[in-house]
Amino acid sequence: MDFSLTDDQQLLRDTAHKLLDRECPSSVVRAHIDDPTVYEPLWRHLREYTALGAGPASDLCLFLEETGYVAAPGPFLATALFTSLVGGDGETTGTVAFLDDAMNPFVLEADRVQQIAVVGPGPTLSVLEVSQIREQLRFISTVDFSRHVFQFDSRSVTLDSKPFDADAYAAWRDRAHASIAAEMVGTARRIFDMALAYAKERVQFDRPIGSFQAIQHKLADMSLALERATSAVQYAAMTCDAAVADRTLACHSAKAAAGEAARRILKDGAQIHGGIGYTWEHDLHLYLRRATTDEDMLGTTSWHLDRIADLLIVES
Amino acid sequence: MPLPFLTHTSGSEAGSSGDRLQLAWGPEDEAFRADLVAFLDAHTPAEAVGGFDFQGDVSNEHELVPQWMRDWQATLFDHGWMIPGYPPELGGRNCTPVQTLIYLETLANRRVPRSGHFPGYAIVAPSLLEFGNAEQQTMAPSAIRGDTIWCIGMSEPNAGSDLAGIQTRAEVFDDHFVVNGQKVWTSYATIAQQCFCYVRTDPTLPKHKGISLLIIPMDTPGIDIRPLRHLNGMAGFAEVFFTDVIVPRSGLVGDLNGGWRITQGSLAHERAGLWVESVGRLEQTVAGLVELAQKQGRAGDPVIRRKIAQFHELASSLRALGYKGFASFAQGSSAPEHSYMKMATSEAGKAAYELGMEIVGPLAPVTDASFADVGRWSHGFFMSFANTIAGGSSEIQRNIIAQRVLGLPRA
Repeated sequence: MDFSLTDDQQLLRDTAHKLLDRECPSSVVRAHIDDPTVYEPLWRHLREYTALGAGPASDLCLFLEETGYVAAPGPFLATALFTSLVGGDGETTGTVAFLDDAMNPFVLEADRVQQIAVVGPGPTLSVLEVSQIREQLRFISTVDFSRHVFQFDSRSVTLDSKPFDADAYAAWRDRAHASIAAEMVGTARRIFDMALAYAKERVQFDRPIGSFQAIQHKLADMSLALERATSAVQYAAMTCDAAVADRTLACHSAKAAAGEAARRILKDGAQIHGGIGYTWEHDLHLYLRRATTDEDMLGTTSWHLDRIADLLIVES
Repeated sequence: MPLPFLTHTSGSEAGSSGDRLQLAWGPEDEAFRADLVAFLDAHTPAEAVGGFDFQGDVSNEHELVPQWMRDWQATLFDHGWMIPGYPPELGGRNCTPVQTLIYLETLANRRVPRSGHFPGYAIVAPSLLEFGNAEQQTMAPSAIRGDTIWCIGMSEPNAGSDLAGIQTRAEVFDDHFVVNGQKVWTSYATIAQQCFCYVRTDPTLPKHKGISLLIIPMDTPGIDIRPLRHLNGMAGFAEVFFTDVIVPRSGLVGDLNGGWRITQGSLAHERAGLWVESVGRLEQTVAGLVELAQKQGRAGDPVIRRKIAQFHELASSLRALGYKGFASFAQGSSAPEHSYMKMATSEAGKAAYELGMEIVGPLAPVTDASFADVGRWSHGFFMSFANTIAGGSSEIQRNIIAQRVLGLPRA
C-alpha cells in the first residue's frame, strides 16, 4: 500500500491551506456567530473547488482536512456530499436530508444551497429545490456556531421518491463517513497545534510548561491519536477510490478514530491552555465547538464502533 | 469547471507509480511476493506451518532456541531470504525497501519466525557492518545465519531507561581491556557465544561520552552467568557478572569512547518495516478475541462487541499509520511515525489480553490442564508486560515523541 501523496495532491493541499489561512482566519469564524453573511467572501473562493465533490475521495478528503482546520463556515461539505449522491459536477449547490434516520436528524446548511437531496428508507432518493420548501426548514441552534443545521419537516411535502441502487448508496455512505472524518481530523489538528504552541510559549515556574513531563506525555498521546486518525482517514479515502472489499470497515474505522482523537485532543487541548482557554475571548472554543459537534454528525463514535462489530462478529 | 488537480485521476493504471494512491504494489514487487510465497510454501518447517505462537508456549521445559528454528534460520540465509535487503553473502538478495516491507508483512501474516534469537541478525550484524573494522565485519554473516549466538550487554541494575548511566568499567591498557561490573536482563546470555558489551572506558567524561563497545567471547575467564526467571516463571534472560575479564584491544568496535552513537544507529535496512510484525500480531489478537467471544457465548454482549470493534479500529489505523511512515521513509524523508508504533502496539497488546481475560470471566486465571486453553489470556497478559518496558519503555517513547517529534524543550 503506497500512502505517498502525488505532486498534484501536495499542490492541492498546500493551495487549500494557503487559501483558507488567508480567507478564514479565526476572526471570520467568530464574526459568523452574529453575522451569518460573513461566510460569503470565503464561499466565493471555495465555490471554485466544489467539483472536488465529484472527484476521488482522496483529493476531497485532503481538501476537507483544511476546511476543518479553519472550521470554515458555509456549504462546502454539504455540497460535496450532495454532489457525490446525485451526480453532477458541483455547479449546483446542495445538501442531504435523511428521513426516519435517528442517527441523522438534521440537514446541513440548508439555507445556503440550491437543492436538497432527500434519502428515504429503501433507499429512495428525491431531489427538491430549497426555494420550494423553505417553510418546512427550521433552524436548530447547536453549540457549534460555524455550521448551520436545520430540521426538515417532510410531512406536507410531496416527494418524487425513486428507488436508489443499494450498492451505490452504501458506497456513498462510506464516502460520507470518510469525508466528515477528514474535516474532524483537520479541526483536531488545529486544536492540537494551538495546544502545542501554547505549551512552548507559556512560562510557569520559570520555564515553558511544555518542558514538564506531565504536559509532554499528554501531547505525545494526543499526537499519536491524531496521526492514527489522519492515517485511518487517508486509508479510508483510498478504499473509496479503489472500491476494495475493506471499504465499509475502513470508513467506519476512520470516523470512529477521528471521533476518539478529536474528543481526546479537545479535552486535553483545553486542559493545557488552562484558564485562558476557558475564556470567550480566546479562539480555542471556536474549534472545540466544531470538533464536539462533528462527533454527532453522520453517526456517533459508538454507532460506528457498533457497525464495525456487526461486520466483524457473527453471533454463533 | 476543470480543476488542475482532477486531471490525473481519470486513469486507473494501477502499478504505474505516481498517478494516484495505490492499494497494491507494482508488478515487480508482486513478483517478489510470489517468489517468497513459493519459497515459504516449499520450505517452512512443520513446527511453524499454520503459525508459530510465541505467546502460546506455556511450558517451563522448552528449549530457548529449538534446533528446528536454528535450521530454519540457516535455510533462510542460504536462500537469500534472511535479510532480503542485504546482498547474497549476507543472507539477502539486494531487494528494495518496499520489497523488505512485503517480506516482513508476509512472514507476520503467516506467523513464521525468522530466528529464535534476534540480537545477532538484528542488532550485532548491522552495527558491525556500519561501525566495525574489516576483521570484525567478517563476523556478520555467521551472526545473520545464526551460527553464532550473540547477547547484548546493555542494561545494568542502575542503568535501565537511563542507559547512558552504565557503570561496568573497562580499564584501558595498551593491548587489552580489563572489564569489571554487571549486566542484567541479558537475553540469550545462557546460550550465547559472544557478547556485544557496552562498557565505561572513561569515567571522567560526561556520561554519554565515556562509553565504548567491546566484543567479549562468553567463555572468557571471569564471566559468571546466572539465569533470571521471568515473572511468568520461564527462564529467558540472565544476569552476567564480569570479574577482571581480559578483552584484547581487537575487541573494540568503533572508536574508544565512541560507543554511544552505535546504540543509536543500526537496523537501517529494516527499521522502517519492523512495525509490521507488531501490527500483524495485534490484528491476529483481534481475530482471536472474536473467536473467543463466540466460543464463550459472549458474541452478543454489546459491551464486548464494542470493545472488540475498538481494537479493530486501533489495529487498522496503526497499520495505516505504519504505511504512511513507510511512504515518507521510502521517499527519503525522516519518518516520525515510527516513534509512535512501538508505544502504541505494545500498549494495545496489553489491553487486548485484558479484554481476553474479561471475555473468559472467572475462569481466566485457570491453568489447570482439565480446563481447555482458558489460561492463555492471563499468561499472554503477563508476557505482554515485557513489551511496554523492553527496548525503551512507553514513558521513554513519549519523551522521544514529545522532544524529537513535537520539538518540546527538555526539562
